[in-house]
Amino acid sequence: MCPWFDSWRYHKKPEQLVRVFLCASQKSGSLNNSNIFVTTLKKPKRSMLFNSLHFALFLPIVFVLYWFFTAKKLRYQNSLLLISSYFFYACWDWRFMFLLVFSTLLDYYTGLKMEHSQNNTHKKRWFWLSVIINLGFLGVFKYFNFFAASFTDLLSGFGLNVHPLTLNIILPVGISFYTFHGLSYVIDIYKNRIKAEKNFVDYAVFVSFFPLLVAGPIERATHLLPQIKKRRAFNYDKAIEGIYQIIWGLFKKIVIADSCAQYTNAIFAHYDSMNSLSLLMGAFYFSFQIYGDFSGYSDIALGTAKLFGIDLLRNFNFPYFSRDIAEFWRRWHISLSSWFRDYLYIPLGGSKGGMPMKIRNTFIIFIVSGFWHGANWTFIVWGALNALYFMPLLIFNQNRNHLDIVAKGKAWPTFKEFFAMCFTFFLVVISWIFFRADTISIAVKYIRNLFRFNFTNGVEYLEIERYSVELVFLILFFLFFEWNSREKEHPFFGRWLYLKLVLVLLSIIMLGVYSDITSFIYFQF
Amino acid sequence: MKKFALHIFALLVLISTLLFVCDLTYTRIYTNCHPRNKLQYILQLKNEQFDAVFLGSSRVANHIDVELFSQLSHKKAINLGVEGAGLNDNLLQLQLLLAQNKVKQLYLQVDSNLESTGPSNISQAEAMPFIKNKLVKEHTQKYFTGFDQLYYIPFYRYAVNDAKIGFRELFFSAFNKKPAIDPAIGYTPKYGNSIPAGKSTTMEAKGLVAKNPILTHIKNLCQQNHTELVLFMTPICSKIDVKPYVCKLKEMEPKLIDLTQGFDDSLFYNCGHLNDSGAKILTRRLYEATKK
Repeated sequence: MCPWFDSWRYHKKPEQLVRVFLCASQKSGSLNNSNIFVTTLKKPKRSMLFNSLHFALFLPIVFVLYWFFTAKKLRYQNSLLLISSYFFYACWDWRFMFLLVFSTLLDYYTGLKMEHSQNNTHKKRWFWLSVIINLGFLGVFKYFNFFAASFTDLLSGFGLNVHPLTLNIILPVGISFYTFHGLSYVIDIYKNRIKAEKNFVDYAVFVSFFPLLVAGPIERATHLLPQIKKRRAFNYDKAIEGIYQIIWGLFKKIVIADSCAQYTNAIFAHYDSMNSLSLLMGAFYFSFQIYGDFSGYSDIALGTAKLFGIDLLRNFNFPYFSRDIAEFWRRWHISLSSWFRDYLYIPLGGSKGGMPMKIRNTFIIFIVSGFWHGANWTFIVWGALNALYFMPLLIFNQNRNHLDIVAKGKAWPTFKEFFAMCFTFFLVVISWIFFRADTISIAVKYIRNLFRFNFTNGVEYLEIERYSVELVFLILFFLFFEWNSREKEHPFFGRWLYLKLVLVLLSIIMLGVYSDITSFIYFQF
Repeated sequence: MKKFALHIFALLVLISTLLFVCDLTYTRIYTNCHPRNKLQYILQLKNEQFDAVFLGSSRVANHIDVELFSQLSHKKAINLGVEGAGLNDNLLQLQLLLAQNKVKQLYLQVDSNLESTGPSNISQAEAMPFIKNKLVKEHTQKYFTGFDQLYYIPFYRYAVNDAKIGFRELFFSAFNKKPAIDPAIGYTPKYGNSIPAGKSTTMEAKGLVAKNPILTHIKNLCQQNHTELVLFMTPICSKIDVKPYVCKLKEMEPKLIDLTQGFDDSLFYNCGHLNDSGAKILTRRLYEATKK
């Protein structure tokens, strides 16, 4: 049936899940806004999303099995975690299980081979074998089409028209994360920082522990493996802490990120006809969408791991309260930033070798970090823009000015701190436009329209039948909570614990987005 | 572990209580507020007698100027067309309307809505606060797969329809905010003209179901309540050739009033909807075609 006069609303990009129907006939081929009809017929794949019913069933089952049936022996604990993790991953797409298992086997085996190598050449050979295969998989699955298309574009720039060779590849979920797990492990063995793990099950749990499998945090063998090697005893305080962190993560995802997503999608879909205020709101909402989404995911991951007696690396530390870009990058996706620092920046020479070297290395890690996020020039520009933001701090040696959280021990920041936070946030918001836009030209047009200061229609009405500023109060409420708990991991502490808990649960129930469950943004990376 | 289990139990009790309280509050507000949609309006109508009721999708809501129709016919008329509504939704609307009111003539828009029997936005969302109503309950039970969750899990019906009957709508209802479309009038004119560019196409009639059970149900309902049923089809722009479709439809429903011809493209807001000028002409033509 062609829904040709039912719904005129259309969604531009709800994660490639829309089906486009052409009015009356699908043969015409001329698609424009007025004659395409879109219905969201296919719901996002819900398998084991942290905010899905499947996970709400999976987690308690594994928890009960873990503490009631396997708690006595480490071997049982780890075997159960491995089976559960593989089941969790197979629920996403069982076809990519082989990749995960192969990657695990490869790094486990090369790790052992490196350790038993008689000489350095031998060790180096195994090391490079692992690095090349790991990066090769990443290259094929994530970047092949990007390189093929970019190469074709380059040739056409010289007047050579070549048909691009593209492959119909699905990106295996979590590949960037578990590849980086494996890489850090083999690099650490190569650099003699750790010993190779002999127990395959323990190593496999390190790579595929389900809370961190699909979107991090990117763990280090030095941090996680020792915890896996020790039998975990149930700890009430840690488990309660985990539950509270899961609740806070759900609030960030379901209430903040998913609400912002509705507004962001509507504004970015019509950026060319929106006034400056709405475009500003679009970028502002995306900033909270991505923060709520990813830090919410990380909170749920950390909380879930705590339920099993395991501490994961903290991934976010209130990045929007940063006073400069350097501080922002110490607080945003910490596990990735520190990975690049330790395994790329420092091997490249780090801050040794004078200012030109420092500048070169900084640009390299920001651009590579951008590229890690996705095979699109927008991510590269996003990385480069952040490197540019970083430059004045680097040149004037101000990049380590703010190591502590802002206004530590105080209720309010000073005016100077407040303006520094606002300015940093503004820079970040602008850079997010590149991250969110489909192409660089769209991002540039978006920013150009934003700075036209056209406020003729005031607050605009969006195609989602809402005004573009309606969400601001909710975000202010969220920021108030975040500010008051900025020295902790979640807001559930102190005198008002139960009141805060009731408020947050009530918000999840009443303000959460359930009709249009969306996947976590970082699952695509 | 025992302490932790108790803590989790307390948390689950708290969540259940909150769900129950929210469900109760939402239902109370929606059942007592000023109507903000046509279904709420129907539910609040009691002992009314309508001469003409128009049912259908946006192609009724945007096309039938009931004030004009009343002026021409001197009849008490109401436009209950709703954007996105299907035949299934119209059936629910009609059942609720006839439960406490009388209708002499029912004008039902038919076209591609005959191709489907499933519920859409009215039954799926707007009717959910009233799921305890006998008719709504029966309708939901008959046409929905997840009835048990909707009926028995507190707040579930509001959560899965948060975009339509979530907090935002609740807030407006609680403060009796006037809706964009007054349900008592029902006519929502469109202004302007934007026919899309592109090739002309033919509307396929392959999907038409010979005997749509929902339409049969509506016919039976009308018969039981001594309501005259008038089926009509509204126009589509010249980019789409609807003649074969109308022919097939006429074979199935010989009494169908065909209003698809004789509308210039300048009278269209978009290809499926007339603008205000077009709607006024259509209303006159429909009146002319049915006047006795």
